[in-house]
Amino acid sequence: MGAVNLLFVVQRPPYKSENARLALTHAIASQTAEIYMDDGDSVVPIIVFVGDGVLNMVKDQQAMKVYGVTSTESHIKSCLLIDLPVWVCKEDMTRLGLKEENVITDAEDMGAELKTKFVSFADIQKEMESVKHLLFF
Amino acid sequence: MGELTFGVFSSLVGSMSLDFAFKLAEAGIAKGHKVNMWLSGNAVMMAKKGQKPFKDYSHNEKLMKELMSKGMEVTVCEACAEARGYHKEDVPEGMKRASMDWYLAKTVKTDKLLHIGGE
Amino acid sequence: MMKLAVFLSDWRRTEDSFERMKAEKMGVILVGNGVYHAVVKENGKDSPVLSKSGANFYVLSDDLTTRGFTAANVNSKVKIVSYGDIVDLIMNDYEKTAWL
Repeated sequence: MGAVNLLFVVQRPPYKSENARLALTHAIASQTAEIYMDDGDSVVPIIVFVGDGVLNMVKDQQAMKVYGVTSTESHIKSCLLIDLPVWVCKEDMTRLGLKEENVITDAEDMGAELKTKFVSFADIQKEMESVKHLLFF
Repeated sequence: MGELTFGVFSSLVGSMSLDFAFKLAEAGIAKGHKVNMWLSGNAVMMAKKGQKPFKDYSHNEKLMKELMSKGMEVTVCEACAEARGYHKEDVPEGMKRASMDWYLAKTVKTDKLLHIGGE
Repeated sequence: MMKLAVFLSDWRRTEDSFERMKAEKMGVILVGNGVYHAVVKENGKDSPVLSKSGANFYVLSDDLTTRGFTAANVNSKVKIVSYGDIVDLIMNDYEKTAWL
């Protein structure tokens, strides 16, 4: 089977529901899925934030301080740390008044090299077409 | 015949999406397809045996057991279950517990995936 | 371009992914509270969902009757289907699915 591409699409804001967190933790689980797969098989995820889901990308989240739980921000940075692509819809950022300086652009503080990619919905559409499965959260 | 995998994240009570998934799984099995189901997030409410079938609440345990007896694989997210106080000894017979990578691995070989990501 | 089966299970929606998604062949499967798109004419107008260009529309029979509607109420653009029909749509007619 080889590598199977998956697109995780987060379309809801954080914390009120578990959607964004579960999208992130499931995407990260791709790192250890090999134990259940045949030799040579792998899953290759991309996580993309669209619609109101782009609100997950706002930086300086204080969820640990306030709720006592890990922040969506920390999971997003973990994705970058393991080279799991994190995409954000540019049009939705503009619609909601977010600029790059307001959002998580990297995880350099954790030692990650990969950076957030700002993409158009047209780019997301292309990715939807190319992957094997879509997972909307 | 093909293989159909569900990923369901909706709660047993308060959303009918889990009921939908089980009924669609039933139809899939009736047509001869291999069906797998991953239950995560609030859908791990299915990982507690002995649920009483009140008529005011959704009750999927009976159908789930019937479908498992016909070959449907049902696996719940272990961490999501433990976080809600559902332990290994609570799991209905035939259901498995695993980490999220089980679901990711299933996406490789399955023909079709219906991911019901919660609401 | 892809062949995509989109499931809508809500009546009021906040996400706008659906409006922007395109497919060579798109099936819109109305289930749960999504069935209201097939039967309700708010201010006398069809649901905007039904204006999705080029899409085929389906509504789950059980979820219609659960909510007090019958085939007579269903918009002529929408085909009434069973669970078995939805299995066939997923397995035979579309490459992938998206539950929005």
